[in-house]
Amino acid sequence: MFEMRTVRQILIAAALLGQGCTPQPGEELLAPSVAQLRLRSVQSRTFDVHDRMLALRGVIAALQDLGFSVERAEEPLGLVTAARFAEPNFYDVVRVTVTVRPVTEGRILIRVTAIYNNKPIEDPKIYQNFFATVERSLFVSRN
Amino acid sequence: MGKRCVILAAALALLALCSGCVRPTPPEEFFQLTPQSVADRAIQTRMFETADATELLSASAAVLQDLGFEVEEGVRELGFLRAAKERSAREYGQDITRVVVWILTIPLIMGNSLPVLIPVDLHQKIAATLVARPINPDATRYEVRITFYRVVWKGEGLAGRDAIPPGGQWMEMIREPKIYQQFFAKLSKAVFLEAFTL
Repeated sequence: MFEMRTVRQILIAAALLGQGCTPQPGEELLAPSVAQLRLRSVQSRTFDVHDRMLALRGVIAALQDLGFSVERAEEPLGLVTAARFAEPNFYDVVRVTVTVRPVTEGRILIRVTAIYNNKPIEDPKIYQNFFATVERSLFVSRN
Repeated sequence: MGKRCVILAAALALLALCSGCVRPTPPEEFFQLTPQSVADRAIQTRMFETADATELLSASAAVLQDLGFEVEEGVRELGFLRAAKERSAREYGQDITRVVVWILTIPLIMGNSLPVLIPVDLHQKIAATLVARPINPDATRYEVRITFYRVVWKGEGLAGRDAIPPGGQWMEMIREPKIYQQFFAKLSKAVFLEAFTL
């Protein structure tokens, strides 16, 4: 009888611990953290492009090259959203949002946020890969 | 016996705890271009000698309509179109495999389990993303790239005693060159221009 009670206690404790994984919104939900600032710099890059439209078209071409299905493209806002399944893994979904904004004369800031199954991608290498593709696409379109 | 029970419960609890928190993460080489992306680009792209971007885009929309697509979004400034059509995804081959596997796994009943029922593809949505962009500084030559995808929804199934709920989904890019050739043949007919590749 004693063992049964212990078993039950352990199971309840496990269930409670498991609940710990569910994020709870706290007061600091919208406050910027150091990690967020670092992620922002990883997700942003400026390019020497004069024409914002050219940069936007370059981003769309890069997304097509990466196999994304472009869902929305908004020219005045410089906003592009795209999604795809993470082939060959057909059960994982990747979504990206890209914003293209002029910072100074002749410099354009491109920021991308990528979500993998509702979880933000934080690996800097993946963002480097993305910007390498954008750079290549901008270079090709300029020639 | 009781002690073993406690250890087993603790192990199960630990396992449940770990699996609850671990999520799949993308590999490092994610978002890198592969030889496959270059090949995809080649079959999905054609050039047109024209300065009339609006005509090229509206002809593309008309061709998509002819092919049974519904144009869902269009942004003229960016030369962007998105279209989709929904169709049945039933294939007899899959139904035959489903029945054969079911018959072959009937002996599982002896092991207090149920025969396996593989979910089959039921419904599909074919989506197209089209972008027309100028490729020279004078904008007298345009490149049109279209990509077709299909999203497939599966029906329900049975694995052991666990039911597989309907609605499982997967997506793939359509890589059949014939489909793209057909599209571009229709498009060049519509704009009275010859499509060419580099």
